[in-house]
Amino acid sequence: MAGSLLAFFTLMDNQDGIIVKGKSAAHSSPPTSRPPLSDSLHLDVKMSAIDLTLRADPPKFDLELYIQNYKGRTRFDRLFLIGRSSVPLCVDALKAAITEAKRGKDAHRYREAVECLRVAAPSEPEATFDQAWLEALEAANLLETSRLLTELKGYKNNLIKESIRMGNEDLGKHLESIGDLNAAAETYSKMRPDVSTPKQFLDVGKHLVRVSIQRREWGMVSAHLSKMGGAQHAEEEKTVQPYLKIAQGIALLGQDRFRDAALSFLSADSSIAASTYSEIASQNDIAVYGGLLALASMDRNELQSKVLDNSQFRTFLEQAPHIRRAVTQFVSGRYSACIAILESYRPDYLLDIYLQKHVAAIYFQIRSKCIVQYLIPFSCVSLDTMNQAFGGPVQGIEDELSDMIQSGALEARINTIDKLVTTKAANPRAKMQESALRAAENYEKQALDRLRRMGLAAAELELKGGKKMGAFPSSQGDFLSEESLEL
Amino acid sequence: MDKLASALLNFPPAGGAPDDDRYHWAAKSHSQKVDQLAGTPHFRESAAQLLDHVDPALNSISHLSLLSAARSANSLPQAELLAKVSIFLSTFDARQIRYAGKPFSVLLDWLVGWTLFPASVAVELLTTALLRLDPTGSVLTSHHVALVRLAFDTDNVELALPILEKNIVFYPGAKGQLEARPLCASDLPPVSYMTVESGLTKQLTSGDVLQYDLLRGLCFIQRRSWAQALEALERVITYPARDNHSCSKIMVEAHNKWILVGLLLNGKTPTLPNHTAAGAQKAFATLGKPYQAIGKAFEESTAESLRTEFESVGPQFFSEENNLNLMRLVMQHYQRWQVLNLRRVYTKISLEQMRARTQSAETAAPLATEAEMEALVQQMIDEGMLSGAIERPADGGPAYLAFHHHETDAQGGELTEAEFARKMARAAQRLAGLEPLVKATNERLGTNREYVRFLALQQKKDKDARRDYDLSFLNQVEDEDLMTGVVAGF
Repeated sequence: MAGSLLAFFTLMDNQDGIIVKGKSAAHSSPPTSRPPLSDSLHLDVKMSAIDLTLRADPPKFDLELYIQNYKGRTRFDRLFLIGRSSVPLCVDALKAAITEAKRGKDAHRYREAVECLRVAAPSEPEATFDQAWLEALEAANLLETSRLLTELKGYKNNLIKESIRMGNEDLGKHLESIGDLNAAAETYSKMRPDVSTPKQFLDVGKHLVRVSIQRREWGMVSAHLSKMGGAQHAEEEKTVQPYLKIAQGIALLGQDRFRDAALSFLSADSSIAASTYSEIASQNDIAVYGGLLALASMDRNELQSKVLDNSQFRTFLEQAPHIRRAVTQFVSGRYSACIAILESYRPDYLLDIYLQKHVAAIYFQIRSKCIVQYLIPFSCVSLDTMNQAFGGPVQGIEDELSDMIQSGALEARINTIDKLVTTKAANPRAKMQESALRAAENYEKQALDRLRRMGLAAAELELKGGKKMGAFPSSQGDFLSEESLEL
Repeated sequence: MDKLASALLNFPPAGGAPDDDRYHWAAKSHSQKVDQLAGTPHFRESAAQLLDHVDPALNSISHLSLLSAARSANSLPQAELLAKVSIFLSTFDARQIRYAGKPFSVLLDWLVGWTLFPASVAVELLTTALLRLDPTGSVLTSHHVALVRLAFDTDNVELALPILEKNIVFYPGAKGQLEARPLCASDLPPVSYMTVESGLTKQLTSGDVLQYDLLRGLCFIQRRSWAQALEALERVITYPARDNHSCSKIMVEAHNKWILVGLLLNGKTPTLPNHTAAGAQKAFATLGKPYQAIGKAFEESTAESLRTEFESVGPQFFSEENNLNLMRLVMQHYQRWQVLNLRRVYTKISLEQMRARTQSAETAAPLATEAEMEALVQQMIDEGMLSGAIERPADGGPAYLAFHHHETDAQGGELTEAEFARKMARAAQRLAGLEPLVKATNERLGTNREYVRFLALQQKKDKDARRDYDLSFLNQVEDEDLMTGVVAGF
């Protein structure tokens, strides 16, 4: 059993998936799905060879409770991702995903999930294809599609705008549910010309945003959102505000624009019911996304004013008290505590559908910021102190510091002999002097260059067209045949 | 013969010419007369004897014609002729020679073509003569091109440096110049007399100009004067073009060397100046690929890709492009630059750590022993590339390198007021030195027929535009506004 799990994750690893390993114990999964202890040790050894991102801690959340927060197609996506990425939750999540898929109409998803489970845990009852169901489903889907298409054609012939819009919406929803996202997006966008009320306008936008998010087309998400942004009724806008902000945040996160994404999450209105946006994210997610991204991109003052003192966002933060703690620790200057909290939650975030790809980058930014902030009040710090504050057992802080200095994130010098880090104070006077001298030098160079160009132009010596490359006889190149530089 | 002598000594007039105009006419007629005389057989026969009586510094035109005659008649012993030529070239009166450009050019051409002089002497004489003619060194002539080639081919770069280090901004062959001053005027910028018409240079092509700068670059490379080499090569690659597609082979060659020199000088690939011609940029992008790849690999933190790049292209290729030695030097310098870059991160670092952190591009691995590392660092310190010192603690701890940082000094890298003022003054002086060049350019532009026509057109256009504006404004004014005095000024 553990063998098959190992085979599965090796496969996932080969497909560049992220693997989050946990201890086999301490989770609410049925005993059958848990690998025996001895095997799991063996697995541990092999797994750590596979991926260095492996962590000893299991995720801190409960799968059932976690998935309850969502509705719609994102449930399957999330379960399936966890199934493919988390060692302790693999079988549970895949089984839940299969159940979820069976509830829906998307045959492709069902196949995918079952295939994964077949590799990971062949002995599970869910691991066999329900061929009869599958065939019935596919037949029903086809029938439904053609029915809706015929209906739509009828509406179009009658030229009733409202019916055409509804026909398109029904068809779009159906296509989305059977997993044909491309066609769904196309159909949804056909609704646009027949929109008559602000609510319908927003619905079209929401459909398109949802589909684009599923297709991971972040640029499209932003484009649809900006279309939704303008010209709406104040009332409708209010209810849809968190949806817009969250979708915008996710899209920006997908495009690596951490600071903009953080600002977007932080401005989400918490007074609107979570059900309006549960098809893309939960309240907990908003707190985590907003908090983490703010930590990665803002300084202490901004964190205080925009995160902790933000009454809107406080409601979200209550859902994720550890993020609140981490931010507070950062603001009050206890950077190692902040990092410790975040590190303990790293496996959780690696299982998040939108965060997974960015966890490493976000954590790296937070860590560098902690180090930079830590060094600000000092002119000289001993490496040992820094190691205690930040160093992991594996890697000393020195290499990290040297990387940061080299990349320009930190202005400091390391003294490896006396084990000191000296921060470099900016010297505006020296900078001014240097820039003045450089400006004079540049001026001279430019002036000469311009004079030369004018001289060439006056003598009509510029290169002329007509004779392209090799405008000069090759014999002119021959005299260079000797290289006289001596070594 | 006495008649000849008196004719030859007739110019310059005793006591000097009263003004430029008279000097001009006198010089002109004298030069013509000497030309006529030089055609007579009698002149040729007595040239050798007359040479001793005509002072090269005073009667330069006459002396020059005698030298040519003596040479073509073969009437002087070799050594004596050479001595006379050398004396003439180092003492001639540059103002007179403006009127005898053609024979003077012929003399300089002998110098390059002759194998009688040792090359070093020829280079030195040519340099002296050119600088006497044009002390600013701002005009390119055909002799410059010959000089740089001779100096480079015969390995006599150092003697030509006074010329090579000058900034050339003028080129002969400008059309439509209206020069009112006589050729001998003392305030005449060199560009106005170093012309094809005066015979002091031949007409140049763009190929000549490009070659001159490329060869200058090669000369500086030979001297390992990387900054000057980079500047010279940059002049080649930014050579202006009239259209968007032309590019010369010489420019591509210069571009490839320019990348390598940039790596040696700054440790990173130089960025192409914005005003590089579009056609050249395209050509560089395709034909300079191997070099750009080398530049990219050079900036990486491990030597592996640099070595792979070098080996995949192969020494054969670089040798065919005449860049093999330069390329080898780049490979050698990779580790040096890694060491140098550590200065940005460390104040003190043990040699052992340095050894582990830097790699030789030749083997793509760290050096084998600490001693090798020490030798390399010491060499860099000795060459002045690195400012720092190797220290060995007395308690037997590991040897380490302490970088000397400006910013760790007491003043934090700041110059003292006096030092700064001195540097600024020097910069200002250099800028002031450009003034004559700017003035000459300005004058030439002002007297250029095409520019004057352009300016007149522009002024007319401005006037038209102004009138149109006034009209349209008046049309916009409402009747009521007439009372408020809006249009009072019109």
